[in-house]
Amino acid sequence: MHTPDEMPARLGAFLTAQDGSRSATVDSYEAMVGGYSRLMARAEVTWDDGSHETLVLRGDPPPGKAMMETSRDAEWALLSALTSAGSIPMPAARYYDATGDALGTKCIVIDHVAGRSLQQLLNDCDPAQGYGSHPGDLVDTMASVHTVDVDAVSGVLEVPSDWDSYIGGLIDRYRQADASHIEAMPFLRYVASWLDANRPAPLPLRLVHSDFQPANIMVTSDGGHQVIDWELAHIGDPREDLGYYNVYSSASGPNLFMLDPEGFLARYRERTGFSEDAVNLQTVAYFSSLAAITVYAQILLGAGAMAQGANAGLMTTYTLNALTVGHSNFMAGCTPPDAGGR
Amino acid sequence: MLSRPTTEQILLDCRNELLNTIDPAVSSEPVKIAIQMMENVLRNCATRAAHEIAWMREETEAMVAFARTVANGPHSTPDVVSALATFDAGASDSLHLDDVAATYDLAGGCLSVALEAVMAAGDDVLHLQGRALLDARLAHETEIMGEWSFVGRA
Repeated sequence: MHTPDEMPARLGAFLTAQDGSRSATVDSYEAMVGGYSRLMARAEVTWDDGSHETLVLRGDPPPGKAMMETSRDAEWALLSALTSAGSIPMPAARYYDATGDALGTKCIVIDHVAGRSLQQLLNDCDPAQGYGSHPGDLVDTMASVHTVDVDAVSGVLEVPSDWDSYIGGLIDRYRQADASHIEAMPFLRYVASWLDANRPAPLPLRLVHSDFQPANIMVTSDGGHQVIDWELAHIGDPREDLGYYNVYSSASGPNLFMLDPEGFLARYRERTGFSEDAVNLQTVAYFSSLAAITVYAQILLGAGAMAQGANAGLMTTYTLNALTVGHSNFMAGCTPPDAGGR
Repeated sequence: MLSRPTTEQILLDCRNELLNTIDPAVSSEPVKIAIQMMENVLRNCATRAAHEIAWMREETEAMVAFARTVANGPHSTPDVVSALATFDAGASDSLHLDDVAATYDLAGGCLSVALEAVMAAGDDVLHLQGRALLDARLAHETEIMGEWSFVGRA
């Protein structure tokens, strides 16, 4: 993927070898924009049985150029398991170059979704006219992720032993991020202390997408959703996605949750069966601080690597500002004590 | 050395050149997105160049003063005492950027453990004082960031 001119021939040979019985010709190959962490490309493919299809390639950037480091092996295993389970609307995982020998970098090939991202559709909406069925559809898609049977992915994702130790570990990631970074980040230990002291009621641990945002939801011509970009998915507290969606959409709107918070949560509770004791405005605020740590820690890691000369590139530099967005959200979620109290 | 035009002015001039000369000549969508990102980075760098040494020095002074208040009060912990000792041993008055950043790092470590100490003790008054330092730090970060969104993310 790092040498686009060679890709049609290399991809055609790869697909032919993977299929085993048909020969593929790549009619066109072009880089896709919109993804931040991985290289993306779209290929038009014609098979020698006359069939035609569009595929999407998702591969690692060159060494030292990634804004975050995640495992393609783990992502492929998860995509394969989710594709087999069939319970989440998502483009099917098709092929994987696990060594990078064929495509120049470790690369996953998935079905292309004909449609636009939910973010693009929301950008086209007139706020004065409202957002139609999008808020409800978004809730339903999120709930569909959180109601997946954990057993379907337990072989490929680590299943924490219990909620309390899981949340404790998640909170501790703030302290770990601070300890491993090249400079002290006082926000992190402050937030960790606050989150520890204000733990909410527990929920059953479920599949968490961890980058649940409208740019990662493709909308088909019939309005159906297809969830993409699973590289940070894990088993955790489903409210992480609620909180992450809230903070992400506050920075890159519109924030469909904030249009009608109570209505949004009521529908989510109805779809998931979770109680109001566990899913409410206060717990969304709590997880708006907590959930960002997964993406935040990855960006911080890239910043630290850059400071030490082990990483470079515009994407790493540009996303430094996302750390500031994170700090702002951390502080907003951690309400201060009453003035005058002791 | 030449101090005028300032680094801030030079970087902002580069940014203008990027937007007004280079961007119109480019049609590739990925390159246009890269230009938007570079415009933002240049703007961030200009603000940092203009203020970062002063801001780090001001914050350093306030963070260490807060930690000393905690260390001298009933909520002192070995971590606070240790962080302050490390600061006193390693802090520099040099205004070279690397030295200022290293001293700022040590002061940040003092603030971290001092805040942990007052929160664990439930001292809301000191908690609010320490939190105000985080707010000031965030205000500087936000001024550097300026207008920012996920360019090209859709």
